[in-house]
Formats: sequence, C-alpha cells, structure tokens
Amino acid sequence: MKFLNTLQNTKFSSLALLDISYIVVLLPLLLMLKIPMLFFVGVIIAILIFKSTPLKSIGILFIFMLGMLALYLSLYGAFSFRGLSRLKLFLELLVYILIIVVAMQRLTREINFYLLISPFLFLALSLFFYYGMLMLIYIIFELFLLLWMILSHRMGGDIKEGFASSMVMFMYSLPWVVVLFIFFPRISFEHANYGFRGETIQRMGHDGTMYLDSNALLVPSERIVMEVGFEKEIPPAHTLYFRGSILYIDKKDHWEGLAINAKRETKPFYATTGLPIKYQVTLYPTQKKWLYALDMPSKNIKNSILDRDLISTVEKSIKEPLHYSANSSLSAKFYDILDEETFKASSTFESDHNPRTYTKAQKLQKSYPDIEKRAKALKHFFKAQNLTYTLKPDALDINHTTDSFLFDTRRGYCVHFASSFVTMARMAGIPARIVTGYKADFINGLKNYLPVKEKDAHAWAELYINDYWVRFEATATASFVEEDNQEVHSSSFLSKEVNLYLMYVKYQVETWILHYSHIRQLQLLEYAKNNPTFVAIFVMSLITLLLLTFVIISYFKRPYYSSKTLATMQALLKRLKKEKYLREDEETLHQYLIRYAYKHPKKTLIYDIDKLYEHIIYANENSKNKQKELKILIKKFLKE
Amino acid sequence: MKSLVKFIQIHRSIKQHATRFSLVVVVLLFGLFMEAYMHDFNLVYITLFFVFSLAFSAGPIGVLNLGNLQVKFNKQGRIFSGKETEILFNIENPMTTSSWSITLHSKDNTSTTLPQIKGESSNNVLLPFLAHKRGTFSYGNCYLESKYPLSTARLTKAINEVYEGIVYPQPKGKPLDTFLNEQETHYGEEKEFDGLREYDGSQKISHIHWASVAKGEMSVKVFTKETKIHNLTFSYNKLKGDKESKLSQLCLWVLECEKKRLPFAIELPQKQLNSKKESIDEILEHLAKY
Repeated sequence: MKFLNTLQNTKFSSLALLDISYIVVLLPLLLMLKIPMLFFVGVIIAILIFKSTPLKSIGILFIFMLGMLALYLSLYGAFSFRGLSRLKLFLELLVYILIIVVAMQRLTREINFYLLISPFLFLALSLFFYYGMLMLIYIIFELFLLLWMILSHRMGGDIKEGFASSMVMFMYSLPWVVVLFIFFPRISFEHANYGFRGETIQRMGHDGTMYLDSNALLVPSERIVMEVGFEKEIPPAHTLYFRGSILYIDKKDHWEGLAINAKRETKPFYATTGLPIKYQVTLYPTQKKWLYALDMPSKNIKNSILDRDLISTVEKSIKEPLHYSANSSLSAKFYDILDEETFKASSTFESDHNPRTYTKAQKLQKSYPDIEKRAKALKHFFKAQNLTYTLKPDALDINHTTDSFLFDTRRGYCVHFASSFVTMARMAGIPARIVTGYKADFINGLKNYLPVKEKDAHAWAELYINDYWVRFEATATASFVEEDNQEVHSSSFLSKEVNLYLMYVKYQVETWILHYSHIRQLQLLEYAKNNPTFVAIFVMSLITLLLLTFVIISYFKRPYYSSKTLATMQALLKRLKKEKYLREDEETLHQYLIRYAYKHPKKTLIYDIDKLYEHIIYANENSKNKQKELKILIKKFLKE
Repeated sequence: MKSLVKFIQIHRSIKQHATRFSLVVVVLLFGLFMEAYMHDFNLVYITLFFVFSLAFSAGPIGVLNLGNLQVKFNKQGRIFSGKETEILFNIENPMTTSSWSITLHSKDNTSTTLPQIKGESSNNVLLPFLAHKRGTFSYGNCYLESKYPLSTARLTKAINEVYEGIVYPQPKGKPLDTFLNEQETHYGEEKEFDGLREYDGSQKISHIHWASVAKGEMSVKVFTKETKIHNLTFSYNKLKGDKESKLSQLCLWVLECEKKRLPFAIELPQKQLNSKKESIDEILEHLAKY
C-alpha cells in the first residue's frame, strides 16, 4: 500500500514512461523472437540498467553490429528471396530491424520522434503474429496503457492524473468503437491465414477408422473438439449426432471407409425431411479432412464437399481452427437409392468369421421377412444379450470379434456395439454401415452453446431399410452401464458450471468479436429488420453502454480534494456559488463563510458549520462522528 | 443544450493545426485499415477503431482543456526603455477540471510552459519583455498553445486582450547627488548635525569629517536640513546631449527624487512639471511621450 502511495506521487520522466510502453508492446513479440535476438534484447536491457549515461558513438556502432549479427543468426537459412516472399518472415525481419534501431536510439538516452512512434509500430506488427481471445484482451490493455503513458507524459509524468484522464478518454471512445465494430461495412475477403494459431494441439476422438482391439481410439478427455452455436436453443439430446465418416469395410480388427477409387455413382444427395436447423461450428485442428454436421446435413458447407453418404470433407487436413455455418434437417433417416457398389459394400460379411452370430442372424432373417421388423428384432436380440457398456472392456477374440463380444465377453463400448450390430444386420440381409462422429452431450450445453468434447466421440449404425438409411443407436441396447464410465474426470458441480459459463463467454466473444464477419453483419441486419424487439434490446444496450460510460467518466473527472472534510464542504460551497456568492482571491474558507454570514444574518447555521469545520481541521478532531455531524449540518443548511 | 452552445463557442475560439503526429495517425489508420479490410482481421479492426475513436475524442478534450481558459494582463510596475522587464499574465481556469500542457506564446516568439492549472483557480505567468523605445506601446497577438492530449493537433487560442502600456525613458546619466553638488549655492542651509556617512565622491569637500580620515575612514558629515530644498529644478534646456539622453537624465533624477522624497520641478520647453502638482507617474508619462 505504501509502495502504491509512493508510486502515485512519483513523477515519471518521459524516458521512464517510454520504457514502460516499450516493455508492454514488446512482451508479446518477445515470445516469437529467436534466441540470438532475445540475447541482443537482454544485452540492451543490461546496458540500460547498469549504464546510466548515454552511449558514445563507438558504443552505438558496436550495438548496431551486435544487432545485425543477432538478426543474421536468427534468420539464418530462411534468408532468401523465396523466404522473403513469405509475409510472416518479412514481418519478422521488420520486427528485428525495428528492435535494433530502437535499441540504438534508446541508448543515446535522447527522445526523438522515431522513438516516440515506434511503440505503435510494434503494436501494429504484433497483430500479424497473434490472434485469439488472449490477444484481444492484451491489445485493449496495450492501447489503454499507451494512452495512459502519452497522457502522463503530457501531464508532466503524473501517472495518477494520467490514469484518470486516460480512463475518461478511453470511455469516450468505447461507444464509438462498439458502433463502428458492428456497423462498419465489411467485405467478404477471406480471413487471413497467417498469425498465431493458439490452438496447435491436435484434437482427437475420431480418425476415420475404427479399431476394435487395443488400438481402439478411446479418448475420455474433456478437451473441446468443436463448439456449436445454434440460432435458437440446443436441439433435443437424442438428435445431437455429428456425422463424421462412414465405414463399410470390415477388416476383422478394424473398420475402414470405401477406397477412394471405389466406383460409386456420383449422385447428388437427396434433401432430407426433418426439422431444419442452422448453426455455427468452430472446429479445432483435427489434422483430418472431415467436417462435422448434425444428422442429417441438408446443405453443403462452404468450401467443402458433401458426398452421397452426407459426409462433408475439405481438401486439406484441418490444421487451424475452422469456422463454418452448417444446415441440417434433424432426422434419424435419409432417402437414398443404392448403387451397386454401395449395396455391395454395405452387405458384405464373412460368415466364417463370426459363425455363432451368423446362425442367429439367419434365424432372424427367416423369422422376419419384413425388413423393418427384422431390424427391430435385431435390436431386441442385442438387448437380450445382457451387454454391458464399459470403457474397460475385456479383450475380444480378434478373429471372431462379433461372436466374442455378443456371446463371450459381452462388454464393450460404442465401437463394439456398432461393429457387432452392423455385422449382424448384414448377416440378416440388411445393408448396413458404421457412422463415426460425435454424439454431443446435451448436459454440456448452455443456452444456444454446445461444446463437443473428445470423450463424445461415438460410433453408431445405419441400416438401409425401405430406401432409407436409418440410424440405429446400438449402444442403447446395453443392459448395464458401468458406473465409473459416467464420469471420467470427477470435478465438483460448481466448478463445472463455472467452467461452462466461462467457455460460453469465450465462445460468444469469439463468435461475435473475433469471427464477426460480413455474413454475420448481414445476418444481424436481416434479423433486426424482422425483429423489432431485438432492435429495442440493441438500442437499450447502447444506451446502457452510454450511461455506463457517463458514470465512469464522471467518476474519473471528479475533482480531487486534499481532505475528506473539504470534500464534504463542497456541497455547501457549490450552493454559495450558485447564489453568486464567490470566494475572493486569497480569502480563507473561514473568512468566506463569515462574510456570507454577515450578509445573511438569518442563516445562523453557517456559524456552526464554520466552527465545526475549523475544529476538525485545526484541532485535528477528524473522527467519524465529527464528519457525520458536519454532513448533517450542511444538509440542514441546504434544506433551509 | 447550453453546454453544447458553450462548446461551439469555445470551439470557434480555437484554431487547430496539424502536427507530424497527425500524419502518424493518418498513416497508422490507413495501414490498419488496409490490413483489416484485406484480411478480415477483427483484432486489427478493433485496434483501428480504437485509434480512430481516441484521435477523434482527442479533439473535444483538447478544445475544452484550452478553450475555457481566460487570460488577462496584470499591471506589472514601470517599464523603462532598454531594460528587460516582464509582462504579467493572469490565466484563470473556471472549470472544475485541471488544464494541462499549456504554453503561453508572445508576439516576439518568447514562450513559457505553464504548470497544471487547477480547476477554479488561476495562475500568474511572466513573459520577458524588452522595450527599445520610450512612448506608448501595445502588447498583443499573444496566444495559448496546447498539444494536449495526444499531440495529434496543435491547438491555439488567441488572447484578444491587448496590453496598452508606457515605456519610460531609460534612466541613465549623472546621479542626483552629483547634480546637487553642482548646484551648491542653491542647496539649502546646514542646520543640525545628523551624523556621519561614507564618502562616495559626490559630497562637498567641506563636509568631509577629517577626524575620521585620520582614523583611516573617509566619512562625511550630514546635516538634517541639508536635503530640504525648496527650489530643486531640472531644466531640459540646460542639459547636454541629444533629446533622448536629456530625457533619460531627467528620468533618472525623477526616480532618485522619488526615492529620496524630494520635491522637484522640471522645466521642459513649453511645459512645466511639478512633483507637488503631478504624481511621479504622470511626470514620467510626460517624459515618455515627450
């Protein structure tokens, strides 16, 4: 506290204020500097700390040479014409040069124009390297701090006054920033691809193959794979199937999709029936090509291919967080006329791999000639097997996986259920395939926000019944669920809730600020056109922001008084001023009040106020009671 | 509404000039705009809008910082030709908030930077001034300047008031005592001995106190009635030199007489000045305007 008080009263030199600015703007850039350049920066800081006099020309020359050496070592190898054409390298080079120039200038201990504007150049350059929520917060902090330092410089190094003034100015500009951000016309250029990713860790949970043995991709992690924002509320829990890849080929220990060169008919997909829904997805890097859309996708996602199995893929693996809008019709089935290749792929099975299952399936086929009833019977059969859903299944006999699961171990998770279900369905004469993707947990959602986690990775079956591919949740046939599976990471309800709200806020900020675009701007305007309530809420929000701004400005613009007592007296002094009774130059407060009292003999309270004020100030009787008494007296006087 | 009208009035009294930092802001805005527009970078958009809004809001803040100040001249002693003096300005801040980073400029490019001018208070500021000629003079064309808050604009506020003053002749020439020695016959009567004082060369030789000389000190005797002169008259025509040196001489004697509280008269061609009838300032004014 004492330190803060001292700090408040310290007048900072212009160089000190400039140094603070440089520290703040350079901090994010230091994270991207190569070791030689970091060493150079370290040397400069050491010189500044230990040498309080300006560096001579020879010293400056040495620093220049050292800087050039650091630059050369930092960019060694990347330094070619080809390299320079890469914007990021070019910008890195600019940062290095700027650091060297600033260092040389700073060591002269003289402020010049270039030294003053360089913090802004560093700030502008840092925007090329960083992008994300953290940078958003930091950039606002940087802008505020630079403003603070400029104003403190203008105020003779008074950082306390500088802070109050910069708060006022910052608040003046805030409503403008908000309005400009929302309404400033955007064009639909693509979002730049360079910049700090922030999310370099690969998300897992689904990789286009499905292993049944110890290679099975089981990731019971809470890490977010994608975040989904619906236009309204989250759809019902039983519809939250995010389609990833389709697996047709049973390779005993794992399932695969069709080969790329499979001769399938290139039919357009058929529109699906069901509740239409629109949503925004932020997909984190998966290093795979699949995009995920709710069952069943009804429209092509921009810059992706939607195939006849309603699977969306992009050309290149996803290495950056990807944002896309998707449209689906919430339905568990979709119409399709199978071509020969697809029919063959979805009907193939090896009866000798799982003879026991085959026998049972044949029985079902004979007992239920109607394909729909047969599929239901298949479900009943699974239920009757008393299967247990567990994340710690016993090892299956890899040559007879379905037999092993259905009749021996009877323990498994989604992949075992889906694999066995599809195998048996094919054996029973129903074309079937496995769909892998994510089954989002409704409980994880908040309002219109639904995070999908790695542990939500899922596999389910699709059976071809009467010209429709119909989703079958094979896992639902489990008779038992092992309790320890329900919560992989135990954490308190409160922390979960808090975490969820934080994620929700982060998502909203990312959606409405970081990824606010031309499309979203148009959507907003379109929505506003048809929704007067929204317009009213929007206008009210702006008014609230203005009021808040006004309150904050008033707070920071309030005059400072040297004592509490003087602050209390201000109400009285304002009244006297209002009565056009002005205090004269070099007149004490006591003289002023007495002068007023002479002119207004009826207002005797002024004597009491004067007496009490003098008592508090000069007799050092600054107790709470005395202050209260003074306040009461002033209030009484004002009421008179 | 009242505030808005007042602000417009204040705004009209202020002139804004671009600075090199204005150019920096323009370049920065352009660069950020290109970056934001071409790559749909919302972080850059936010930075761009902040820079724009801050530069935009700096205008009214700067205007209010400077525009509310009221400047008036304060009378500051006598001004003599060829002698450096100071002009006193009183700068009042009627607002409740402080004004910062204000510089006061005079017409001859002298300037002084003011400290913080607290709300509802005033500061006195002195600007150096050297008058080369006697006579009346006008001191105007002064202005206040400020680059507050962001240095992106140089705001100036002209001080409309003009200081009308008189520059008196430069006081120089023979000291009054020398003149009085030369005027010995008209120099009153010596009555009561009043004590000794150090000899400075201007006193009568007959007044030298020889006893003190014997002791190694050079003192002179002073008599009470010695200074009581009824007819101390300075004649312009009897003085040697040109007009300016004569007026300078008279000015010096007037000031010395004022200091010694001696009544005097000045004979100017076609004009008689008498310290019993006119004040010293009036006499000096006559000399200044002569």
